[in-house]
Amino acid sequence: MTDQIPCHLRERDDIVLRILQLSVNFPVGKQTVQAVTNVSFDVARGETLGLVGESGCGKSTVGRAIMQLPAPSAGHVFFNGQDMTDLAGEALRQTRTGLQMIFQDPISSLNPRRRVRDIVAEGLTIWGRENADTRVEEVMAAVGLDAASAGDRRPHQFSGGQCQRICIARSLALDPDVLICDEPVSALDVSVQAQILNLLEDMKARYHLTMVFIAHNLAVVKNISDRVAVMYLGKLCEIGNTGSLYARPAHPYTRALLASIPDADPLAREQASIDGEPLLQGELPSPADPPSGCRFRTRCPYAQARCAEEIPQMQLVADDHYVACHFPILEPQAVR
Amino acid sequence: MTDDRLNSQSVLRVEDLTIRLNSGAGTVHAVEAVSFALARGQTLGVVGESGSGKSVMARSLMGLLPRRAMAYKAGKVVFQADPAPAQDLMQMPEKQLRHLRGPAMAMIFQDPMTALNPVLRLSVQLTESLRQHLGMDRQQARRRAIDLLAAVGIPDAGRRIDQFPHQLSGGMRQRVVIAIALACNPSLLIADEPTTALDVTVQKQILDLLARLQREHQMAMILITHDLGVVASRADHIAVMYAGRIVEHAPAKTLFSAMKHPYTEALFNSIPRINDPSHTRLQAIPGRPPQLVEPASGCAFAPRCQYAQARCLEQTPPIVTVPGTNDHKHACFFPVSAAPGQESVDD
Amino acid sequence: MLNKLADNGVVRSRAQGFSAAARQVFGRGFGPGFWIAAGWLLLVALCAAFADWLPVRDPLDPVIANRLNGPLTTNILGADGLGRDILARLVHGSRVSVVIALTAVSIGMVVGGTLGILAGYFRGHFERGLMAVLDVILAFPWLVLLLALVAFIGQSLMAISVAIGFLWIPAYARVARANTLSVVQREYVLAARAMGASTLRILLREVLPNVILPVLAYGLVAMGLVIIVESALAFLGLSVEAPQPTWGGMISEGKRHLATAVHVALVPSVTMFLTVLSLNYVGDRLRSRFDVRESNL
Repeated sequence: MTDQIPCHLRERDDIVLRILQLSVNFPVGKQTVQAVTNVSFDVARGETLGLVGESGCGKSTVGRAIMQLPAPSAGHVFFNGQDMTDLAGEALRQTRTGLQMIFQDPISSLNPRRRVRDIVAEGLTIWGRENADTRVEEVMAAVGLDAASAGDRRPHQFSGGQCQRICIARSLALDPDVLICDEPVSALDVSVQAQILNLLEDMKARYHLTMVFIAHNLAVVKNISDRVAVMYLGKLCEIGNTGSLYARPAHPYTRALLASIPDADPLAREQASIDGEPLLQGELPSPADPPSGCRFRTRCPYAQARCAEEIPQMQLVADDHYVACHFPILEPQAVR
Repeated sequence: MTDDRLNSQSVLRVEDLTIRLNSGAGTVHAVEAVSFALARGQTLGVVGESGSGKSVMARSLMGLLPRRAMAYKAGKVVFQADPAPAQDLMQMPEKQLRHLRGPAMAMIFQDPMTALNPVLRLSVQLTESLRQHLGMDRQQARRRAIDLLAAVGIPDAGRRIDQFPHQLSGGMRQRVVIAIALACNPSLLIADEPTTALDVTVQKQILDLLARLQREHQMAMILITHDLGVVASRADHIAVMYAGRIVEHAPAKTLFSAMKHPYTEALFNSIPRINDPSHTRLQAIPGRPPQLVEPASGCAFAPRCQYAQARCLEQTPPIVTVPGTNDHKHACFFPVSAAPGQESVDD
Repeated sequence: MLNKLADNGVVRSRAQGFSAAARQVFGRGFGPGFWIAAGWLLLVALCAAFADWLPVRDPLDPVIANRLNGPLTTNILGADGLGRDILARLVHGSRVSVVIALTAVSIGMVVGGTLGILAGYFRGHFERGLMAVLDVILAFPWLVLLLALVAFIGQSLMAISVAIGFLWIPAYARVARANTLSVVQREYVLAARAMGASTLRILLREVLPNVILPVLAYGLVAMGLVIIVESALAFLGLSVEAPQPTWGGMISEGKRHLATAVHVALVPSVTMFLTVLSLNYVGDRLRSRFDVRESNL
């Protein structure tokens, strides 16, 4: 580990997952798209880290790179101290069972030709675990499904919310340490979203999970996360505990994101500006040719010459709150 | 806007609109006895989950539902574009209806990727309706099209107009879709989930744009969404739909300060709020939205409603006006009395 | 939408039992045309299976007195130029058509399907190399290739089946590869990998069941084409050797009598036409049914 260790990584004994200088590049035609560049963060046992950003910011790619599906182009993923990027073959298959994933589209996450019971039992069958039937019934009951009546049906006989419950049951069957949730509620009806969010909180407590929760909805992320990391165009721009980050966003991008959320309660923000100051300008640049220096500078209202020359490093702005910006917004003006 | 103006200047008046559609599994009761009125310059927000009938309603207003899919339709859709007399769109032959779409009423769809024809330049798609409906010649139409693109906030419109849709980002495409919809200055704009496919920062830009254009053109707008937040600060009136019916209809502020229907309340409470602290327990609505195929009698929300009583399962509650108001309506036998927006959401 | 409707179907199936469950699998039924076509295919298959036991005359017995007699005279469907019973020859000839169609399509399906799935799953050099080879085979004039193959491996029933089956490998490989590519992108494949499933297990449990249905449905349409290819070979005298009756061979023999006794060529032609039409119709309906289900899953 000769790489410089960023200041926002914590020196603690209970770090379950540590991502160090993770980069993922995809070849697209003749170009190389830098989907993720030098992203580092850590997650402590029992913590939920929210990973937010808009489409194309690389948040889902980070989730998959943690699972080594596919492996990152550069960087390290330490899971319980073990560098997963060093593993291959059987050892990787073994270690990977400690991390599980659930996805955005619950219907395409389930093989339509298999019965629910077999889907949930898949991991147990692969590893030849004993008492698989008992375990399947237990996790299905835990997510609110009756194994006796639901087990023999096929996924298309269930609604989206129920399919997501099946996905959660499947991911829990192997008793993982870490659950990576990639937009788990975005495809669901509003009235079903809350059920799944509550269920995830319950499962986290019951099975002592550590979670990485990837989503674009800032309110959803705030609800479920202890810490939040904000990504823009393949880079981390701000990370910190949820309270501080939402109350005092220091990065201009985080500020723009928070100010854009339509709040369901008009009484709560009567004075909200509809035509306020411009928080964002222009268009998202191509990830194949990202801007030099700070990647947000082309759209930032505060950008200066230095932003084009120098890549901003993470710096501490408050207790457990770090921002990668040369000119962070530090005055205590809360956006909301 | 006062109420007399609302009555005298209704651009759109929908009365007991009922739409049933054929499907493989039976007749889908997509829209049941929906009534509302919409005045010039006003925005009606229609909120509902998938399967609530909001999109079918929008399409039926435009006469865009395929005829062979329609099992049954009833009710009136009275449309009055300024100089023309009021006319019932439900009775209008397709040919006549076609002349209204574009110049009098326009629609924006959810997905800007599929709403534009990928093989035609923007100039062709923008000038089409200008030349057809307003009889402009090629040069006039092109000039107007460039103005339109500039008006919806597309930089460098003179160059962009000769590009193809795939050369634009999602947000830009939705701007183009809006420009096309507004090309002939319609009196009514129906926006069906116009920002659902877009990122949150782009969503704000598009909603701001729609609000500005609506102000400038004094259009009536129906803004359909599943997100209470989108309509909360942008609609004058909000109609909440559930299982094909409007269950509550009120001016936006009244709705949030004094919601009457348990579904509105439950929906509001189930949404994670940005101002609540982390790990706030959400009040989830049990169960899931009902099937619309041959629905059972009674209130459709009753099986999921915490206040439901025997009567709710037997009779369908009619839509009634809240005493003391003239524009707050709901369809519930046992309306919520407290203002849940003010309550704390702790367990 | 359909997804929800299917959901609804299940709720009811508990009460209504088989009919609702069947409707859920087969939708609202295929209509009478489908069942007529399927019935005809069943009849052809039964004829092929039980030709020796059916109450028809000996297909090889020339009764000179009946030469070129028309249908509904001495023979139900008439007699050919040697006085052999056309009905008997059709029944026995169906055996050749059915055997070749089944064998050739199976060879194409198994070999091509396997290659296609592997190419779609592993991608990379293997896929590029395979596709290049298949493109070369597809670009070759198929009749010339077939003639060369038959000249090389002989004219037995098996040899001809294998030769035609070989021709079908590229088409099946393409269908299987395309379907695999779309299945591999589904999250359930990713989820299986996350749980530590081996590649073989993913191929057998997650990919194969989702690729096999569209491939099978395509098989029926392919069988129709195989029957036509076989008859073209027979017409050139290169199919199964005489005196074994084949539909193609019967048409070829009837050609000489077109001016005097049109039924000798017409009856086998119509039989073949109906069979191929039925295969296409049934295959197409099944495929559209699977496609609809696919798109909603």
